[in-house]
Amino acid sequence: MSESTSHDLSKAGMGWFLKIWGVLLFLTAIEVFLAYEDLPLHIMLILLMGISIIKAALILAYFMHLRYERSTLAWTLLPAMVFVLVMMVVFFPDSVRIERLGEFLH
Amino acid sequence: MHDTSDQAAVHHHAPPKGFLWTHVFSLDHKVIGKQYYFLSLAAVVIGMVLSWIMRFHLAWAAAAIPGLQHLSQVGAPGGIITPEYYLSLLTLHGTLMVFFVLTTAPQAGFGNYFLPIQIGAEDMAFPRLNMLSFWVTFVGFVTLVSTLFISDGPPISGWTAYAPLSALGNDAGPGLGRGQILWVISIGIFCIGSLLGALNFIATTLDLRCKGMTLARMPYTVWAWFITAVLGLLAFAVLLPACVLLVLDHVGGTSFFIPGGLVLSDKLQPHSGGSTLLWQHMFWFFGHPEVYIAIIPGIGITSHILASTARKPLLGGSRVLVGCMVAIAFLSFTVWGHHMFISGMNPFSSLLFSVPTLIITIPASIISLNWIATVFGARLRFHTPGLFAIGFISVFVTGGLSGFFLAQPSLDIYLHATYFVVGHFHMVMGVAAIFGMFAGTYFWFPKMFGRMMNETMGKIHFWVTFIGVYCIFMPMHYIGLAGNVRRYSAFVDDYLIPLIPVHKFITIAAFVTGAAQLLFLFNLFWSMYRGKKAEENPWDSTTLEWTIPSPPPFDNFGGRHPIVYHDPYELGVEGAKGDYVMQDSPEKLAQS
Amino acid sequence: MSESDITLKSGRADWLGGELPYAIPSKKLGMWLFIVSDSITFGAVLVCYAYLRLASPNWPTPFRLSSIVNGAIMTFVLLSSSVTMVAAVEAAKHGRIAASVRWLSATMLGGVVFDILHIREWLGLIHEGLRLYQNPWGSSLFGAAFFTLTGLHMTHVTVGVIYLGIVAIGFRRGKFTSDDVEISGLYWHFVDLVWMFVFPLVYLLSARMH
Repeated sequence: MSESTSHDLSKAGMGWFLKIWGVLLFLTAIEVFLAYEDLPLHIMLILLMGISIIKAALILAYFMHLRYERSTLAWTLLPAMVFVLVMMVVFFPDSVRIERLGEFLH
Repeated sequence: MHDTSDQAAVHHHAPPKGFLWTHVFSLDHKVIGKQYYFLSLAAVVIGMVLSWIMRFHLAWAAAAIPGLQHLSQVGAPGGIITPEYYLSLLTLHGTLMVFFVLTTAPQAGFGNYFLPIQIGAEDMAFPRLNMLSFWVTFVGFVTLVSTLFISDGPPISGWTAYAPLSALGNDAGPGLGRGQILWVISIGIFCIGSLLGALNFIATTLDLRCKGMTLARMPYTVWAWFITAVLGLLAFAVLLPACVLLVLDHVGGTSFFIPGGLVLSDKLQPHSGGSTLLWQHMFWFFGHPEVYIAIIPGIGITSHILASTARKPLLGGSRVLVGCMVAIAFLSFTVWGHHMFISGMNPFSSLLFSVPTLIITIPASIISLNWIATVFGARLRFHTPGLFAIGFISVFVTGGLSGFFLAQPSLDIYLHATYFVVGHFHMVMGVAAIFGMFAGTYFWFPKMFGRMMNETMGKIHFWVTFIGVYCIFMPMHYIGLAGNVRRYSAFVDDYLIPLIPVHKFITIAAFVTGAAQLLFLFNLFWSMYRGKKAEENPWDSTTLEWTIPSPPPFDNFGGRHPIVYHDPYELGVEGAKGDYVMQDSPEKLAQS
Repeated sequence: MSESDITLKSGRADWLGGELPYAIPSKKLGMWLFIVSDSITFGAVLVCYAYLRLASPNWPTPFRLSSIVNGAIMTFVLLSSSVTMVAAVEAAKHGRIAASVRWLSATMLGGVVFDILHIREWLGLIHEGLRLYQNPWGSSLFGAAFFTLTGLHMTHVTVGVIYLGIVAIGFRRGKFTSDDVEISGLYWHFVDLVWMFVFPLVYLLSARMH
């Protein structure tokens, strides 16, 4: 046993990580399946982004151990990162401007 | 097994031996801070000379500048600048000033030197990374300046490098081939240096504070450097990929920022599908936080010095100042589109950007009013750093006021790309931020070099500069309103000709103000060797940098770990020796 | 004036100075900060990709089933390498140096396999006519965005393999600690995390539907 771990390993070693791995693979399989369903682009985007965020959260929380660090660490890092990424969404109205230019001509 | 307890301890590194390790590749944050400072000094001198050349040309467009033809035969034949070369010089001026002066000296220069000391640490959290950051920045600097010496000169696209001009290569104009590529590489390298530095500052501020140095007890400057570092970490992360994409447009044949159908010199360009707006979005997404990166350290330094000058902490203390700085930092990510009001971007986005731009004036105003209220009724000590700190209030407010106008799209449609904007950003960045640097220089010079700067020269420098900058930049608001477009190298249109006398006035003011800067430079270097020897605490200040010798020993505190008992600005305290209590003094305060 | 002046409320003690507020070594905090910054860089490139795709009326969707399967295998390899990385960190924390180095090597192998599969795929697409500046299927920006985004990611994977190699060698020699292994693990998981977004947004959304 180790005496050096500063975090609380409330789970039983590698078994738990393998479970997470399994979930990640399963979610990937769902994504691949969805790719071949003929869904409209924006629905696909929402679903795929949503699943990817869940996968990212699992990796952050368990593989990267963020769940077991001081909560202030996650609260410091994640909101700032998410905020900046979300702000970049304001670029998008200009990506469709050529197609939609007619809408402003009246 | 591995013990985590000693990670709370400060990182030790032994004193260096040998010239290279002591003076060139030093790990000492103080040496690195000075290296950054002198790099900025070199950049500002080059930038200032460029501005003199431009101002001369604007006032006397037909006149030759003797010797300039040796720098560029094609750009200045017979010493007379071509319109394209004017843009090249303008690009280099802006890029040098914004990146290598304003983003470097206040943060990497003073911050590196004083952040660890003010929090009671021996060094930064990552001394080797710190050294690497400086040399990366240095390589960026050399790459940028090299554009002066290549055949085509620096790019003509401005420090903002708007596409498609910046993406099309040589066919689009002088300097846009190799010059633009070198520019992009230089800025990309600078991004990396800044990101590494930001990382260092954040980790240091959070982890290396000495005992008793709670966040609330950090000096205003430490807060400013910390907030600026957070901005840098987040903002430069977007400029870096933008630079990569722009370079690919040059060397990879991509069309990220180049739309289809462009014809240059009767040649249809083989590009299509790209978006020039995308470059503007990415650039300004970085560019707006960048200007707050340029000013927030100055706000911190001014507040820090003002407290010492007025012999009291800011009204409302750290909480108001820090709250406002945090609000500004947060909002700075929501306003970038105000640089793009007339770009053709979605007009509804303009509303979305205009509102937070107006809101951001609120914390900035609160800070300014806070300073004024602090200074009001205080028994001020009018030494040179104090003068520059008080001067900062004036120029920051002046510069900020024109921002209120530009924040509104309806007004900006007219004012965009006129001298009104040039006046605005020069007052806030080219004057206020520089005043912050001057204030910091005069204030901390004794600590850094163990000698005082000459007060008389300092006061002359201040007054000539203070009056001079108003003479240079206030008229720009007027001519901007009159329709004077910026980035023009000559004024031949009917409506511009009457404004030429104003340009002449501005140019003369610029030369006189420039001369005062030469006085500053002389004072700086002369005082390093001949200045009056400085004591440990020449300004009767309270923060930790004034508890150590001038200049400080290698490990700052001589091996001891300071303990902090007080707020950072216990000044004007009744019953205390002098009228102040040092932060690490164990003496109890009467009222606590 | 004594240390009673410095109040020690539970939980707040770490922020009073002289302590590590997040209870992690500074190096680890440094890596987290780097990850935040690099995430934003990747995010910006992804936004560019999405922006250009939305702006193009003729964005190609050229990925055959074999490409998608290849991508799925790459995802499997990278996810598995994350598990071996976790195993390496666990072993390191328990003092089992040799085991940790073995798991690190397995992780590096995963990275190399990922790179090989990726380059194979690139070569296949290049053979079909995909370039940075043109392709036979549609908007010329597809190649530009695809190669830039996946190239940036592949660079990170490659750098990661080298980084893990250095840590493995150093850890075996006793120069590095288990903390250094853990920190390199953070980087590796980050690279995996980015792929979680790249794979669906680039490959799955451009799957060729027959």
